[in-house]
Formats: sequence, C-alpha cells, structure tokens
Amino acid sequence: MTASAKRFVLLCLALFLFAIASTGSHADDTSKSSAESHVTFDRDLAPIVFRTCAPCHHPGEAAPFSLLAYGDVKSHARQIADLTQKHVMPPWLPEPGEWKFNDDLHLSPDEIALFQKWVEAGMPEGAASDLPRPPKFNAGWQLGQPDLIIHADSSFEVPPSGSDVYWNFIFRVRLEKTRYIKAIEIRPGERRLVHHANLIVDRSQSARRQEESPGTGFPGMELQIESESFDPDGHFFFWKPGTILEPEPPGMALRLDPENDLVLNTHLQPSGKAEKIQPTIGIYFTNEPPTKFPLLLQLENDRKLDIPAGDDNFVVTDVFTLPEPVSLLAIYPHAHYLGRDLLAQAKFPNGETKTLLHISRWDLNWQAVFTYTNPISLPAGTTISMRYRYDNSDKNLANPNVPPQRVVAGNRASDEMAHLWLQVLPQSLATESHDPRRVLQEALARHHIENNPGNFEAHYNLAAMLQARGELSQSIAHYQRALALRPGDPIVENALGSAHFALQDLPQAIAHLSASVKTRPDYFDSQYNLGLAFATAGQFPPAIEHLRAAAKLRPQDADAEANLGGALAANGNTQEAIVHLRRALELNPQHALARENLDAVLKDTKP
Amino acid sequence: MRLKFLSASHAFLLIASLSSLLPLFAKPPQTALGLDGKTLDPIKASQGKIAVLIFVRTDCPISNRYAPLLQQWNEMYSSKAKFWLVYPDKKATPTEIGEHLKQYRYTISALRDPDHSLVKLAGVTITPEAAVFDSQGLLLYHGRIDNWYEDPSRSRPAATTHELQSAIAAAISGKPVPLATAPAVGCYISDLE
Repeated sequence: MTASAKRFVLLCLALFLFAIASTGSHADDTSKSSAESHVTFDRDLAPIVFRTCAPCHHPGEAAPFSLLAYGDVKSHARQIADLTQKHVMPPWLPEPGEWKFNDDLHLSPDEIALFQKWVEAGMPEGAASDLPRPPKFNAGWQLGQPDLIIHADSSFEVPPSGSDVYWNFIFRVRLEKTRYIKAIEIRPGERRLVHHANLIVDRSQSARRQEESPGTGFPGMELQIESESFDPDGHFFFWKPGTILEPEPPGMALRLDPENDLVLNTHLQPSGKAEKIQPTIGIYFTNEPPTKFPLLLQLENDRKLDIPAGDDNFVVTDVFTLPEPVSLLAIYPHAHYLGRDLLAQAKFPNGETKTLLHISRWDLNWQAVFTYTNPISLPAGTTISMRYRYDNSDKNLANPNVPPQRVVAGNRASDEMAHLWLQVLPQSLATESHDPRRVLQEALARHHIENNPGNFEAHYNLAAMLQARGELSQSIAHYQRALALRPGDPIVENALGSAHFALQDLPQAIAHLSASVKTRPDYFDSQYNLGLAFATAGQFPPAIEHLRAAAKLRPQDADAEANLGGALAANGNTQEAIVHLRRALELNPQHALARENLDAVLKDTKP
Repeated sequence: MRLKFLSASHAFLLIASLSSLLPLFAKPPQTALGLDGKTLDPIKASQGKIAVLIFVRTDCPISNRYAPLLQQWNEMYSSKAKFWLVYPDKKATPTEIGEHLKQYRYTISALRDPDHSLVKLAGVTITPEAAVFDSQGLLLYHGRIDNWYEDPSRSRPAATTHELQSAIAAAISGKPVPLATAPAVGCYISDLE
C-alpha cells in the first residue's frame, strides 16, 4: 500500500483583519462655502455629516445616536464641533499621505472649521433646496441574502462594567465540499459594544481545543491558529463600526474546506448594562476558484519590547527586504495600549523612501485594516520598515498599569506588541520551480529567526516550507530548534515524525509520532501518520490501533478508512478490511488506493 | 459674626435654592418634574439627607457607562445620601426615561428637568456631571464623578481620582469638601437647549 500522508502544520500567529471599502467622495464645495460668511447645515455641513458621520450614526449601527437630519446634528452641535476640532471624530488614525485609503474619514482643516463657524452662527438650518439627499442604509444584509448564514453556537454575556473584554467565537461551517468565498458579512450583535472583530480561518480546528466545552467560545485578545497547508493566510476579514462590505477583488476568493472553522475574535467594551453578544456571519460564495493568491507578510520585533516604567519614547523597529516584486493591497498595524506613534515606510531600490502609513496618535480602540485605493507596486529589493514608538509613562492615559510598570511582549491586553501586517499580491506567477509566495514566506521566516533565534513559529514555518520542497535534513534541523523551544509539543513531534518518515527513517518517525500521540491522543494527524509508519514498517497490530483511532477522530476521512482497510487486510482481518475499504469508497468513490486494495482483497477471498 | 456667609457663591446658591423651594410663584413653574409629571424638588424630597444629583442623558455613552458605579453608590450611601438622576433633555419622555432606567437597572429616582432649572441651580454643563447639596440646599460640589475620562475619546483603565465620592464623604461627615468643582467630560447640556 502507498503511504499517502504528508500532513504538516503551518503555525502562524493570527491577528488578521480585514478591510473596508466604501463609496463616497470628498465634499468638494467646502472651500467655496467656507469663504462665505453664513454657514448652514443644509448646504455646508450635511455633505460632510452624511459622508463621514452617518455611516456609523444611523439606527442599528454602532454609534449611540443618529446623525441623519438637522435636528440630530443640532442636538449634538457643540459636541461635534469640539470632537472634530480635537480629531476625535470621525475616528480615523492615518495621517494624510501620498496614498489614498478606502473609506478615508479624514476631515480637512476647512471642513473642521465649518463646524466651529456653524455653532458660532447659531446653528442655522439653511435652505431645504441646498440639502443633499440623506444616505440610505440597508438594514438587511449589505450584499443581499447570503448563501450561508451561521450564528455563533452560544452567546457571551458582557458584564455591565469593568475592563474591555476579548472574546472568541467559533463558527463550525460544516461545508459538504470545498467552496470559494467572495465575501463575508460579519454581524457582531449589539454593535454598540463591539469595537472591532476579525474573522480568521482555522483550517485544522485548532481553536476548538481552547473552548471549555464545544460551542462556548473562549477568551483572549490574540489568537494562535495552526494552519494546515501551504496556502498561508492572505485575506483580512475585519469589522469595525460603519464597515461597508466589499467583495474580494475578482480572482481572489478564499478557499474554504469542509473541515475548516471560522473564528471571530472580538473586542468588547462594557456599556453600563449587562448585554449578550451572539454574532452572526453571512457568507457569499462564488463558483470561481481563486487565480490570485495574496499573502500576509508580518514585520515584528516583539523581542525588543522591554519598555521601562515611565519611558515615554521607547522605539522598536524592524526592516525586511522583499525578495520578490509585490503589489501592496492593505496594511494593518498592531500595538496595544502603550503604542503612540506608528510609522511604516518603503525604501525603493532607487533609494527613494516613501511613507506607507503614519499614525501619530495610535488608539487601540479605533484600530483597523487600511486598504489602499490603488495597490502600491513594490519592486524586488524594496525595504519595508516599521518604527513604533511607545509611551509607558503616566501621561499615557491608556496605560493599563497605574503606576507604570515594565512591560514586555505578550498576548494579554496589559502586554505589548509590535506588529505590522502587509497584504501583498506577488507580481510574478507561480511556476513548478518558483513559487513567489513561498520565496516571500521563507525569506520572512529566516528574517524572523535572525531577529529572534527563539521565535518558535518562525522555526516551525521555515521547517514546514523546507519539508514541502524536499529539503528534509534542513527541515529536521529547524523542527528540532522548534522542539527545543517547546519540548514535547505534539505538533512539532508530528511534523518531525513525518519528516523522518519521508526520509524513510522509520524508527525515528515512530518515536516522534508516538511522542505526539502520547501528548495528544485526539490529534488526528499524528494518529494517522503513526498508523502509516507502523504499517510501512510491517507492524500491523499497532498500525491498526492508530488508524482506527484516526478514523474515529475523523469519520469522514476516506484516507484513514482506506489505510485502515489496507492494514487490516495485511494483518489477515479480511472481513473487517472489506468493511473499511468499502466505507472509504463510499466517502470517495474515486479513491484509487481503496479500489485497488478492495479488488485485491476480494480476489484473494474468492474460493 | 457673619463670617460664615462670606462666600459669594454660597449666598447666590442660597437664593437659588430658595426659589426652588417656592414653586408656587405667579410665573410658570421653573422646576423639575417626576416621571409622573408632578413637580418635585429633590432637595426637599431628600428629607434631610444630602442630595446627590447626577445629570444624565439617555444617548450619552459616557454617562451610561457610569450606571453600575452610580447604582452601587446609591446603595452604599442610602442611609446618608439621596441620589437623583436628572434628565435635562426636554425631548426625553417619561416612557423613554423609564425604559432607560430599566435597561441600565437603575433604581435611583429619576427627574426630568426640561426647563434646566436644576441645571442652573447646580451649575452643571455636561452629562454626566454631579452636584452635591447639603440638607439645607447649599451646593457643596458640582463637577465630574471622577477622572475615568480625560476627554470623550480617552479614558483611563480606571479612575485614579474620585471627586464625587470625596465630596459625598465630606458632606456626610460635615467636613468641608476638598474641591468645590472639577471639569466634567461627556456630552454638552447646552446642545439640548
């Protein structure tokens, strides 16, 4: 029988967020009207309010009151004048720069001045003939009825008071076959509580292990997802108040397989009353498999985060030179409460440096993925840099520690992070011998190891990529570094076992796979691989034991059934072998190995 | 000796509170209303206790976030201080206010102040903002509840100064309040005029 197993697991820290896109153009008549002495709502303010306030300030959305008519705005007039002048509202973090972002809510100084003048003038309404048509918001699903609607298994109760809460909901999608997602609308539930939410694909159901019991969800600000494949994540699915849903660009659908889960990571803020949150997602499919494969590149330097108490200007940097030409689609900066000034730049091969994103007043509460209206072309050799400044003094009101304390990197809200995610699309096409995504990923993993030799994920990812392109001994070396960092980790043990298996070193393979199974008996991959390794070594009773365990863990897996049938047949358990081989063919009528083995067994049993 | 009446603001406030004690003047009543629509003077109705007025608005997220804390204090100080929620929005109907109380599980008595007579009496400009009166109707403190919010977009993980609680504690023990006022952060009451 053939060993058809090459399962590996790619680990990545997932904080993936997604983008928003929108209609709306800047009011272009402000310069004209601000020159006039008399500012009115209908003529001067309504276009700005409708474009930049109304997307959140309308019934059913996140904002606490509506701003859709003169009366609405008048009853908050001084508030609006005050908050626009302080750049608090509308919430928009990036400084104006060379490249435009979708859904830009930035107000120009002239626009801000209009609110001041209007309040000073006594808030005149103006002439109804000047009033633009108020925006219409679709109360239902933004792109029409979704193909699939899934509710979170259970609700989460947000307490009336206390600090912010980070909660994760798992959506068990249960597709019957692989499908392609062109859009997902996230409906987080009571929107006034939800600051933001990101949806992450969990290809190996790894988040389920964090639930106390199935369906409860689990706490945590940062998610670690194991992703089992070589199509590393390339999509942001992000929700923040006022998000206008845009389908993925043509050719960039996301593949979703039957066993995949979607995990929604939410940031919730108590509102003063106890409230229940039970998010819903609506998925829109397309029949077009993806032809373009974007990739999320992460710059980070968490190891350098060791911020002394009271330090108000602690700087962390990272630089990475692109080995491949890419188009930059979107950018997502991530820090926690001490972040103050976040800068991302690109130094082009011609020596020119341009700013990709600058946030001079970082505010975790308004974090977002920023999508460039036009992708930025970054040639091979372009150096991306991030420079984050942190304020760990008591002048930083958001400082979670009073008085300030030393802060290092970590996943809790009171820890810090220095991450910059770039969504890029490689410009060259993948060929048999050259996959630009793999080149980028591998370069990035090596870069992360250089920054931090103790980076478990980087060693693991690099090893998995080396294994995939057949560099087995190098791969084993990096798996061993990862294992030294997390002794006994069942995922690494499984991967090491499969690498040794591929080298046909069966004793080593069996030793590592056994270690994995011992630590985590419910891990399908290692049960399956161990069963195969024993079968290949001709040790059929233990092979049967582990393949049986694997088939029990995933009753729909045709490979497990086929190999179990094969092992049973080889051990002389013919009748039971037939049952499992037929089961494999029920699950996958095209399963060549099961067909071949079944034919052989039936032939042998004929008198 | 007349020294204890030297404070100009106290003198002014005595006059102000006097007028609120006399609701039956010839002019249209400028006074607060209970949810039943009847006029109600919170100082008098506090029956010898310290009166703590909290000015709130149903759609002000900052005042809403204080609900659990205010409710807790209301119970903690119930024998010594009477809490009142004052809604200065004339468009807020008794039904809407009743619904708001229910949603936020307030058991604190609510008042409507459509003419802003209590707003003027207490000298407040923001929701949420608090005012503490002694049993004689003398304004001892008006201003923020604490320093949780520095401005409407920036809050601390938790307040580090507690001006209202200090004022209540001082008023209960008959000591001078440490601070007469501190600037509040939230929504402008003037937007409701």
